[in-house]
Amino acid sequence: MDFANRNNTANKFVCPSDRQLALRAKLKAGWSSSKTNEPLRPEEQEAIISVIRRNEEIEIAERQRVGRLVERVEKIKLHAVERGPNCCRLCGDAFGLLRPQRILCEDCRKSVCTKCSVDINIRYHNSERTREIWLCRICSETREMWKKSGAWFFKGLPNYDMPVRSASASNTPTTTPTAGGGGGGAVAAYGKAGAGKGARAVQSCHGTPARGGRIKKLTIRVNDSSSSSASNSSASGQSEPEEDQLDGAKSTTAGAGTASASAPGTGTGTDSSDRQRLQRDESFRLRAYGSIRSFIDGGERKLSNSFFFGRQANANAGSRQADGQDYDNISNASTVAQLRREGSFMRRSSVSSSWSFSDSSGSGNSATQTTQNPQQQKQQQQQQQQQQQQQHCRDPLLGWLELAISYRESFHSLDCTLVRARDLPAMDASGLADPYCKVNIVTPEGHTKYTRWQRTKTVHKTRNPDFNETLQFVGVEPEELGNSLLYVALFDDDKYGHDFLGAAKVCLSTVHSTSQYRISVPLGAEDQYSAEAEMSQSWPNGKMLISLCYNTKRRALVVNVKQCINLLPMDNNGSSDPFVKLQLKPDAHKNKKHKTSVKWRTLNPVFNEEFYFEASPHDLNKEMLILTVWDKDLGKSNDFLGSLQLGAQSKGDRLQQWLDCIRLPDHFHEKWHCLASDNPTH
Amino acid sequence: MAKTYDYLFKLLLIGDSGVGKTCILFRFSEDAFNTTFISTIGIDFKIRTIELDNKKIKLQIWDTAGQERFRTITTAYYRGAMGIMLVYDITQEKSFENIKNWIRNIEENAAADVEKMLLGNKCELNDKRQVSKERGEQLAIEYGIKFMETSAKASINVEEAFLTLASDIKAKTEKRMEANNPPKGGHQLKLTEIRTKDSWLSRCSLL
Repeated sequence: MDFANRNNTANKFVCPSDRQLALRAKLKAGWSSSKTNEPLRPEEQEAIISVIRRNEEIEIAERQRVGRLVERVEKIKLHAVERGPNCCRLCGDAFGLLRPQRILCEDCRKSVCTKCSVDINIRYHNSERTREIWLCRICSETREMWKKSGAWFFKGLPNYDMPVRSASASNTPTTTPTAGGGGGGAVAAYGKAGAGKGARAVQSCHGTPARGGRIKKLTIRVNDSSSSSASNSSASGQSEPEEDQLDGAKSTTAGAGTASASAPGTGTGTDSSDRQRLQRDESFRLRAYGSIRSFIDGGERKLSNSFFFGRQANANAGSRQADGQDYDNISNASTVAQLRREGSFMRRSSVSSSWSFSDSSGSGNSATQTTQNPQQQKQQQQQQQQQQQQQHCRDPLLGWLELAISYRESFHSLDCTLVRARDLPAMDASGLADPYCKVNIVTPEGHTKYTRWQRTKTVHKTRNPDFNETLQFVGVEPEELGNSLLYVALFDDDKYGHDFLGAAKVCLSTVHSTSQYRISVPLGAEDQYSAEAEMSQSWPNGKMLISLCYNTKRRALVVNVKQCINLLPMDNNGSSDPFVKLQLKPDAHKNKKHKTSVKWRTLNPVFNEEFYFEASPHDLNKEMLILTVWDKDLGKSNDFLGSLQLGAQSKGDRLQQWLDCIRLPDHFHEKWHCLASDNPTH
Repeated sequence: MAKTYDYLFKLLLIGDSGVGKTCILFRFSEDAFNTTFISTIGIDFKIRTIELDNKKIKLQIWDTAGQERFRTITTAYYRGAMGIMLVYDITQEKSFENIKNWIRNIEENAAADVEKMLLGNKCELNDKRQVSKERGEQLAIEYGIKFMETSAKASINVEEAFLTLASDIKAKTEKRMEANNPPKGGHQLKLTEIRTKDSWLSRCSLL
């Protein structure tokens, strides 16, 4: 009775009750599906579409505005001289006593002169104290760009249209031999996708004739940025199955009569435009690379480059992904993924043939290619459109993931088998990692379908884990498959925080109910979903903000215990009285242990206390800083709240902070770390 | 057309059907009021450019349909929003009670650090009042967000509400970008979380 009443139409316009929400949560169906789903009337559809159109106009203007912002920063970067550490990065003036004063930029850690830098006042978030920092003009403009473009909110730059490039696009059509059926179709498909992104469509037209199977080789060239002859010769040297596939694709597209472009012509056409983009990309990443190089040059650690590369490049690469339009990007990620896969085939000829794309039910490669031809073409068109947006995929590789997906229509369940991963970034000093996967489905609206991320078991001490684990997603409708994505994020398992290793997106449109779909995809950089996956991990013991600095004058490690959040409540009043004990082990200089003052009745204490540990930088490579958080109890023994270890034996972010601290002395390096529940001092 | 602006903030209005979201937006964008009730179809938006600290801020304010049948469309716009106005009707107890459901909806669909604000609309109808101002304030404190009682009809606090939300977002921008190194996502997010937690008491303005 009651339930019937609840579903009554009288209540239709009102938000559902807790009970209804709870029921729906169990169904994992969202808010709207359990109601009588009245379809939208035509006039309603029209009204909504007109609103979306209006919004597109605004988005185009916004993209152009962001493009102008980006361009401005890049212009400044282009004019940077970069003559070395003893000259100003921007104007090239040498430093000296009577010369301009040297200033170290807070963000890029490069030397600039006073003329080319800006000082800003920073207010600490928890105190009224202000601190002055200097930024070079590039970094201050970059910050400004992040502010103005909304990138700060979406944690990445939104899609943008470069004003210069669209002009050059209209200038260069002579180099594109055919923009016939394929190109037009691409634009049409684009419009249908509801994107209708005018300016971008122009770009995608340019240099995107129907290229059929050739597109792969082209991208390879950009990947390696080597000459065309080199890539062609290396293409012939690749493993056999791959070549088969390429040939197959070539012949089928030729048979269908859509690929009218001649291979060399297309090559030059796209090459020039790609170069441009590549150049833009390079300059964009300059900052990150520059700072990383300094690490690697001094490299006494055995850490693989990919570790630093991957991590640092993430920031920039991830920044390209807009939140709103992100789905456009990722919907083709799997296809672009293929491109990148090919790219590395060139470099790593040792890769076994099992890595290639295969359809386990298919009779033969070329045969399946033929049957999937229309679909493939559509994919390729999409590839072409998205190419310029996918530039950021050309970061140094973060490794590969091989997975098998199958769909059982009768159960409405999607089975995703994570087979193995290869060449993951190293996370500890011995060059190993402890990877595991987190998997979710991304809906066309760009949301994750399930609030709970499914995860695999951790495979310890390897960069090439064999997971062989099947995760099952239930409640996946067959029609959903077409435009949903499978999102896999790999993390490094550690007591003190899970560090991001790489993420992959697989388009589910190619998954059939009858057969298993096996694919190996390259892993890409961090984005909003991986951040979401990371956030889904709960840290019951809370987190700690630690700032480290090696003070060369006092020859001591300065540890600033800044604050903790979300500590465990230990006292009856639902809070704790936390303090932190610090200890360096094994201590060559016989420093004493330190502890902070007690912050009474709080779970989010702010300490801001500094401690000195005498040590030589060389010693620090062997030492381990052990921090333990305790709840002060009067009259009985203190309760343990959490621990954190930092040192050269740490992993991921903690190792990076430690190394940063040694490499760049006299600067504070601040990072958040998770607290673990075991007590290392016992 | 080529009006320049420094920031583009996307705001969103949500709340039960008939609480006056469209009227609030109409008042803010056009400074007018319409007494006839026309239910919003799906989504709509209006633009207004404001100036804060000599910066031009373009506000794109999304008006959503409160009706449940449009829920799939409206939730799709949550994620892009930097600020969300939760609106209830002070003459309708039910719309106030539903605010917590809307907040849950935000938590599920919107970005984690979206700025929120609670508005009790139709405050000119004091004789028909069912939800006291104190209860609104209490709820706002509970969620650590700001609260205002507004009237689209009598033009009370509408302008102020949007300006407050916009300046909060702008303050957040500045805080975020100046607190630490900018182009790094993860850890900074957590920093701001604490900040909001620490200061919710001081932030709740009672107007």
